[in-house]
Amino acid sequence: MRRRSSLPVTFLVPTLAILLVLSMVPTLYAIVIALQNRELSTTGYSWVWFSNFADLFTDRRFLNAVWVSVKWEIVTVVATMVVAIGLGVLMFEAAGPRMRNFYCLLFIIPVLLPRVSAAFVWKFAYHPLYGIATYPYRLVTGGLIFDPLSKPATALFAVATVDVWQWGLFFAVIVLKLLETLPPQPIEAARLDHARRWQIHAYVTLPMLKAPLVSLMFVKMIESLRSFDLIYVMTRGGPGVATETLDMYAFSQGFIESGKVSYASAMAVLMMIATVITFTMLWKRVQA
Amino acid sequence: MNSNRLAASLGAAFVLTASVSTAALAQAPVCSAPVKVLAQPRDGLTLLEDSKDEFKKLSGASFQIDYLNENDRRAKSRADASTVGNYNVYYVDEANVALFASSGWIVPLTDYYPADYDYADFDPGRQKVATYDGKVWFAPLTGGGDLMVYRKDVLEAAGIQPPKTLDELIADVPKLTNADKGMYGIALRGARGSGANVWRWMPFFKAYGGKWFDGDKPAFNSDAAVKATETYLKLFKDSAPGTQTGSWDESTGAFLSGQVAILVESTPLSGMAVDPKTSQVVGKVGFLPPPSPLPGGGYGHGLAIGTKANADDAAKKCAGLFIAWATSKESEKRRLGAHQFGELNRTSILTSKEFADIYGADLGKALADTGKVTAVNFWQDPRWPDLGDRWGIILEELVTGTRTDIKGGLNELEAYANELVKKK
Repeated sequence: MRRRSSLPVTFLVPTLAILLVLSMVPTLYAIVIALQNRELSTTGYSWVWFSNFADLFTDRRFLNAVWVSVKWEIVTVVATMVVAIGLGVLMFEAAGPRMRNFYCLLFIIPVLLPRVSAAFVWKFAYHPLYGIATYPYRLVTGGLIFDPLSKPATALFAVATVDVWQWGLFFAVIVLKLLETLPPQPIEAARLDHARRWQIHAYVTLPMLKAPLVSLMFVKMIESLRSFDLIYVMTRGGPGVATETLDMYAFSQGFIESGKVSYASAMAVLMMIATVITFTMLWKRVQA
Repeated sequence: MNSNRLAASLGAAFVLTASVSTAALAQAPVCSAPVKVLAQPRDGLTLLEDSKDEFKKLSGASFQIDYLNENDRRAKSRADASTVGNYNVYYVDEANVALFASSGWIVPLTDYYPADYDYADFDPGRQKVATYDGKVWFAPLTGGGDLMVYRKDVLEAAGIQPPKTLDELIADVPKLTNADKGMYGIALRGARGSGANVWRWMPFFKAYGGKWFDGDKPAFNSDAAVKATETYLKLFKDSAPGTQTGSWDESTGAFLSGQVAILVESTPLSGMAVDPKTSQVVGKVGFLPPPSPLPGGGYGHGLAIGTKANADDAAKKCAGLFIAWATSKESEKRRLGAHQFGELNRTSILTSKEFADIYGADLGKALADTGKVTAVNFWQDPRWPDLGDRWGIILEELVTGTRTDIKGGLNELEAYANELVKKK
């Protein structure tokens, strides 16, 4: 008979207790506040229960923010994965060991930049008159002006480009390293069967990397939910409300415009519930 | 006899000890910890940081200024003052002084502003903006009204006289735009915010006879607001690139780099326009009051004493001393010496010979003339930032074409205003 050790309990209980306090206290507090009508400018408050939640569904800016958040999530996650896989495979196929190391170093730099710094750098790059990113357009059109951050049709994509620039390149390095860890035999077997390069990756290497790639996608999905700083610096949710995501709108309601912290908390609680449900469903679907 | 001598000696010792203590107390430093300030970038404050040692000598402690741009500063100071109260001194402005004062986030300034620093010397207009509910809440760092700043060379080349009326301005602006040569008729503010796009829109609203409230009843949803918005959007067609989602920095930056023919903006622009360090159009610029009937947007920014971070009277006195020193005549003289036009607020400095020598008679006259048409255009109420920011979002949507229904936007704002009134 094996003696039960108290070691796991000794290590796990304090850690879990701290984690529980750190995660549950703010969460419960946010839920409590969401059921009240607290505002920054007044100390008094009362319980309004689900009134804040009901108001959200008739608030056009909230509904717009939900739609913008969904678009942002899809655009950034899909584009990041496409760029990561594309560049990773390209480096694997076309670059020798030295060049691979060089590219890896180069591609890691953007993600090392603080988010706010990256946002400022790109904000200047997008300047319609002086920006380096808009320079080719001015050159081709003979000086016509293009201001991607002030056009509702392009603003979201312009900001998403910065997100993909940071994360897509970083993920490309991870994809390359994953490809390098694969056993060579299946790839050689495919080559002997005269499979083309793209077929080798489409039918052999990438299916073998399904699990880590799905994990990467989930990491990016969570990261994309937290793009507040990027959007805040580059557009503040504008032009109009074209890039106003849920977190941006919640912050705006809580701290910029009206100081409605309860209303903002209601949004945060809804976001949390929606995120948990969506991610659980997706995770189960992927596991199945 | 001995006992008398002893009593006399003790008495003398007591008097001596008391006088030494009093002297020590008189020289005791006013501040026991560095003063923490939350502000937005200002040349005057940057210059002030060069004199940290002077303040340390005066008060016994140094100071630390955290800078955030205008909109971020407003959001952060509101969040900080209403919750943790990390800052001893807040940079406040005309748009949020009512909110800060009525919420108890700042304390009346003159209770802690040393008399030697002569608060009455500040420009009376700025004192008025710093006053809410009969009490003074901040010491001005900047302020004034609007001026029309225009490119003499560009207007002359186009054969156009500087517009004296709003109708002339509307007619002239498209004629002055020559996008192929990088010249735009005007620069406006498109970025959301009661102190951003709404600030520049309000003179049009007032010029067409608009008013915000009639008692407790919103009165802004009117023909005046529709006409003002239509005019604003029409002028925006000739506004410099980057201003559609930009504010003061973008519009003045476009003018100072030579891309704009006419700009109606807050008075500090005029000082920047004649300064070779900031302007590429020095010597080509003229100044006039805003075209009639546009009123100038009276404003003032300054430093106020935070309530939470200054828990006791000693801390408040320290913050008061910092504000007094930062806005003193000596500090303003240094700013004048550094040609920081927009940072001058004291009558004694604005009317000094040194000022006239540096900036000339034209600008002085334009400033005097614009003073006559400067007005408070916003709703002077703690709920103004809330209402103004809401209109700012709708206006930004209209400017960038995300929405096109002006009346629908005003209806939405009116519904929101009614909610605000109900909550009072």
